[in-house]
Amino acid sequence: MNTRRDFLRTSLFGASALALLDRRGLLAAPAAASGAPPMRFVFLHRGNGLWPKVMVPPSFDKPTMEKERRKEAYSVDLDGHELPAWLQPVAKHVDQLTLLQGLSGKMCTTGHHSWCSSLGVYKANERLSSIRWATVDFELAKMFPSPAEHIELACFPLGGGNARGDLDGIATGFSARGPQQPNYAFGSPRVALEQLFKSVAADASAQADYALERRLLQFVAENEGRTASSLSGPEKAKVQGYADSLEAIRERNRKIDGMADRIRRHVPVLDEKLLTGDITTIERQQGHAEVLLGALISGLTNVAAFTVDELGHVYTGIDGIEDQKVNMHDVGHNKSFGGVAAPEIRARARTHHMRLMDTIVSRLKSVPEGDGTMFDNTFVCYFPDGGETHHSHGVEYPFVVLAGKNAKLQLGRRYIRLPKYGAQGHKTLGNFYTTLLNAYGNPIEHFGALDTGLDKFGVDQRGPIEALLA
Amino acid sequence: MVARRIPSLLIATAAALAAPASRAAAQDAAEGVLRRYCLACHRGDDAEADVQLDGLAALPPAERTDLIDRVREMLRFGEMPPEDEPQPTPAERAHLETWLEAQSDARVVREKLRHPHYGNVVDHDQLFSAAPAEPAFTPSRRWLVNPQIFHERVMDVFKLQGRDRDNQQHRGFAGVTNPFVLPDRSGVRDYDLDALDGGDLLVMLGNARWIADRQLLMARRLGGERDIAFADKRDRWMPRQIAATYQAFTEVVQSDEAPTPPQRDAAIAEQFDCVLRRAPTAPELDRYRALFDAATALSGPVAGLRQLLVAVLLESEFVYRLEFGDGAPDEHGRKRLGGREAAYAISYAIGDRRPDEALLAAADDGGLATREDYAREVRRLLADERYYRGQVDPSLNGKHYRSNVTSHPKLVRFFREFFGYTGATKVFKDPPRSGAIYQNPGRGTVGTPGRLILETDRIVTRFVDADREVFRELLTSDQFFVYHDKSNQAGQDVLDDWRSVYERLKDTDWIRQPQQVLDQHLDFLKTVKSMRVRDNSRPGELVNYMHFFTEHFGRGVNPFTTVPWAHGYTFHHAPLYNLPPTPRISRYGSWKSTKYTGEKVEPRQFWSYPAAQPFSIEHRKGLLTHPSWLIAHSTNFHPDPIRRGRWIREKLLAGRVPDVPITVDAQVPDDPHRTFRQRVEDVTEPRECARCHRHMNPLGLPFEAFDDFGRFRTVESMEHPDNLLDKGNGKTTFDVYPTEPVVTTGRLDGTGDPALDGPVADPLELIDRLSRSDRVRQSILRHAFRFFLGRNELLSDAQTLRDADRAYVESGGSFRAVVVTLLSSDSFRYRKDLDK
Repeated sequence: MNTRRDFLRTSLFGASALALLDRRGLLAAPAAASGAPPMRFVFLHRGNGLWPKVMVPPSFDKPTMEKERRKEAYSVDLDGHELPAWLQPVAKHVDQLTLLQGLSGKMCTTGHHSWCSSLGVYKANERLSSIRWATVDFELAKMFPSPAEHIELACFPLGGGNARGDLDGIATGFSARGPQQPNYAFGSPRVALEQLFKSVAADASAQADYALERRLLQFVAENEGRTASSLSGPEKAKVQGYADSLEAIRERNRKIDGMADRIRRHVPVLDEKLLTGDITTIERQQGHAEVLLGALISGLTNVAAFTVDELGHVYTGIDGIEDQKVNMHDVGHNKSFGGVAAPEIRARARTHHMRLMDTIVSRLKSVPEGDGTMFDNTFVCYFPDGGETHHSHGVEYPFVVLAGKNAKLQLGRRYIRLPKYGAQGHKTLGNFYTTLLNAYGNPIEHFGALDTGLDKFGVDQRGPIEALLA
Repeated sequence: MVARRIPSLLIATAAALAAPASRAAAQDAAEGVLRRYCLACHRGDDAEADVQLDGLAALPPAERTDLIDRVREMLRFGEMPPEDEPQPTPAERAHLETWLEAQSDARVVREKLRHPHYGNVVDHDQLFSAAPAEPAFTPSRRWLVNPQIFHERVMDVFKLQGRDRDNQQHRGFAGVTNPFVLPDRSGVRDYDLDALDGGDLLVMLGNARWIADRQLLMARRLGGERDIAFADKRDRWMPRQIAATYQAFTEVVQSDEAPTPPQRDAAIAEQFDCVLRRAPTAPELDRYRALFDAATALSGPVAGLRQLLVAVLLESEFVYRLEFGDGAPDEHGRKRLGGREAAYAISYAIGDRRPDEALLAAADDGGLATREDYAREVRRLLADERYYRGQVDPSLNGKHYRSNVTSHPKLVRFFREFFGYTGATKVFKDPPRSGAIYQNPGRGTVGTPGRLILETDRIVTRFVDADREVFRELLTSDQFFVYHDKSNQAGQDVLDDWRSVYERLKDTDWIRQPQQVLDQHLDFLKTVKSMRVRDNSRPGELVNYMHFFTEHFGRGVNPFTTVPWAHGYTFHHAPLYNLPPTPRISRYGSWKSTKYTGEKVEPRQFWSYPAAQPFSIEHRKGLLTHPSWLIAHSTNFHPDPIRRGRWIREKLLAGRVPDVPITVDAQVPDDPHRTFRQRVEDVTEPRECARCHRHMNPLGLPFEAFDDFGRFRTVESMEHPDNLLDKGNGKTTFDVYPTEPVVTTGRLDGTGDPALDGPVADPLELIDRLSRSDRVRQSILRHAFRFFLGRNELLSDAQTLRDADRAYVESGGSFRAVVVTLLSSDSFRYRKDLDK
């Protein structure tokens, strides 16, 4: 069937309707110790591949460069090294920066489009049945519950084999809530703002809508609760779960209402232009970053996924060629736009992505929390959804990671190249996500599908990357 | 000591209390058996395998029932006492079994037996031989709608009729997400067990708002508004014909003032009719009035109406099938389904569609009361070629292929679920191992397994339509469809066309002068419809055709009737049936090119395509030798004799295999010098493994005659890096390994027929014997019961199953006769509230 357009208009109950409605989620013990701030996670991913070669600091010496060429495993302290030009926007955060290379993901759908493969670690496509389990961001969201549980923002593709109907719509995202359950993402910062922060809306009409939604929810919850109370045995369970889920939404709404002051203080202030429909990709990304920050800082969510672009997205507003509509698929095929060569267009897009990373990290560093700042309890990563290039095979998924001091991972100021594909000790996306989950208390043996092609090399694919665990 | 403790095991149950004298006798007999054969090892803290039978009475009901289940399973499988210990007589086993059954908590047992995994727990012989335990019924229930019924219900909300409904039959609504996906398991998938959860609610919230908004637009259109503002210009769906009853909504949306009470009540009644197919009760009417009025007061009449529409759409009843029966219960506590309940139950069983008008009329006029009434309507609907007509599985559709259309797709779906061959799409293969002909499912394609599933569907459809000896034909027919993308006549017409072109042009200089030949023969070529030559601009395509014809007609074989350079061509899997290959596009290049690379590669003998299908294929017999079933029951790199054997044990022999103990790491060890069969036998030989594997391996190992791609073989390629003889590039050359002969012997047991049980030489002999077994026929019927009733059979359903069996046999193997019997049985017609 089709996507749930107008999902948040359908989110009768405000921000929480995007939340997981699993009752167990409400009851789950937070992974954070009582009283300690929760951990936050931000997954920024982009289409068209991320070339491994652009990750390498130019100041590496010859022997290191030779190791890099041969893709041998090594690790270098980034202190004193010059970062590649596109990474300069995050150079000020170098102490928290890790450039992680060598993860493979051949068990994912690769190539032009990957759907929720790169976050779920399995072959996914547009069919619901291909979604085998929740993506890693949702697994983390379960461990660090919040009223909205998870938010997803996207610059949607409008072309290619993965098109959504509307850049500003609310459509199938790139994360999954569970088996055969796609998540839904906001395409427009304006819509995201209206819906996520509607509980504190100043507009009278929006307030009336909000009241109607609350009353409707109460009505349906009471209705189903009444039905369930008259039943027993298995038949009761068939209605009680539904009634409980309705109550769960109401409970989350009550939490949101209880946070009204805090939410009101952190409602993102979007530039006037972002409130209109006519915005460039660059502006859309900036708007999404503001909404993301507002949701994190207000406590609406602890986990955000942000599709900064996808291969089928037509880019606008790129530095120096602002007037061009840049088809990223054509860029993948090395086509120039506005006299600018494709590799340079890629570099300018990447640079802007790093400006977004800087915006997120710098802002979180400015928010006091506990003995430090909110960023101390935050993990932000940037990676390609399809792997190493435009027509990728999933041999490499380069990661740029910025993680605070409480991230429970051996990260920071390092360039790490893991053993190459097929070599002993080689690691996959599944190993990396297992590391994240294990680090915060999910004991899963291995997250994600296995790569059957690695069997012939005798590589043990299961488990975390021990070297990254603190 | 033992004698003192045994009485403490006994727990008074309703069954045991029913007859005190016989209860005491059963107790004595059970005590004796336990004392003699069990308690020596299974008592005290150091009991063997932690099975402490002397503590049974102290356990909570659920744990006690679990432990009793384990004991009963051991007894049933003959696993206990151990072979080297004294064995109870059959009578002693029966005493113990009866007593254990009485000790189980009836409610816990009942709950467990509802689950698919426990389908075969009810004893087969009792079902088909012993006197029925009690009159048949189905527990009163809510049954969550399946994806097809959900879609039907959405169409019902919009009250779509005629073309509007036909147009949406296989098309989704832009703003509606189907919240339900049937579980991905082999066997019957749609049970009445599932419950709405939070995930479903999330989807329903989205659906409700979209549907309600579209209803409001329809109301406006009905009121004469032509200039409808759609929120999304790509989503402008609107039925041509809007039901007149929507006028109840129109009166509200076109009014600036609060609706009058009658208008409000009419809108409530209309939405109940759209969504729940019934009128509101008085309390419901009161509640919805209050909801409507409050919303209207806050934001106006349209907001009030929207609030109402959405709220009714969020009633859980919208997505449940309610089957509680109507009227006074009979002497057994059973109620007959009400007229409308019966109509929907029948129609959803046959085709996932709402009842047709005649069935609804019968329901409303009291014409659905007796068994004969049900049978009459079911026969009528099974004879109707049009009402349920549709594709077997639209989700498999792709470029250049469509799921086949049949009059009753749901009958075909039963066999799909039963055989589980659609699981082939879930097994990822390494394509070079297939000779680079296998395409895994990927973005927008279901790949090679998808095509194989479609070809299997064709076989099933053929025998379901023929309706003669259906089970035996599906198990034993050597007739297959391969690549069959045109009717027999259309395929033959293409071959005749092409041969005429070949004969006319073969002696021209088409290789060196293709443009000239094309120019000279253009008028003739334009008459050959299957070549679609419109002008002389494509000499390259003529060259392709002529090479293609020369390599087929010139060598005495027929080409496949779709050319390999056709857009989206993916027919490469003939070798999976051990048929010769068909040429690939790389041999000819695109239609733009006159280059030909075929001569640079070794000349090949291509498959002579039979336009008339189905046709016979050597070494194959029925669906268990179809590549789709074999792949579905394989692993990434190997056949899976254990799963294949388990499937036969459970699906065809109504048997059970204990679950894999959690302490077992079920892995076949690596060994470059041992065949896969040898390695399976090595690892399953120890007694603790053989206990279960002896129920599977002898049935699955004969299928070693086929590799994991479903190819028949007499030798096994010893694929292991240590054995590599020649490294291939994976595209045109392939890894070569030494081979070892395949051993295909096995053993059939469990048919209950000494003439059939015993050693078998190969899978074809095994299949042949299975097809002659009464037990196999009855096992398939048990699964059909589950499919149409949505639950496992109980002993009380014995008469229903026997009637179905008799109907099948007496009708000469008609599956439709089975369906008529099941859907007019007491099991189908009666409901009983077990929680009262």
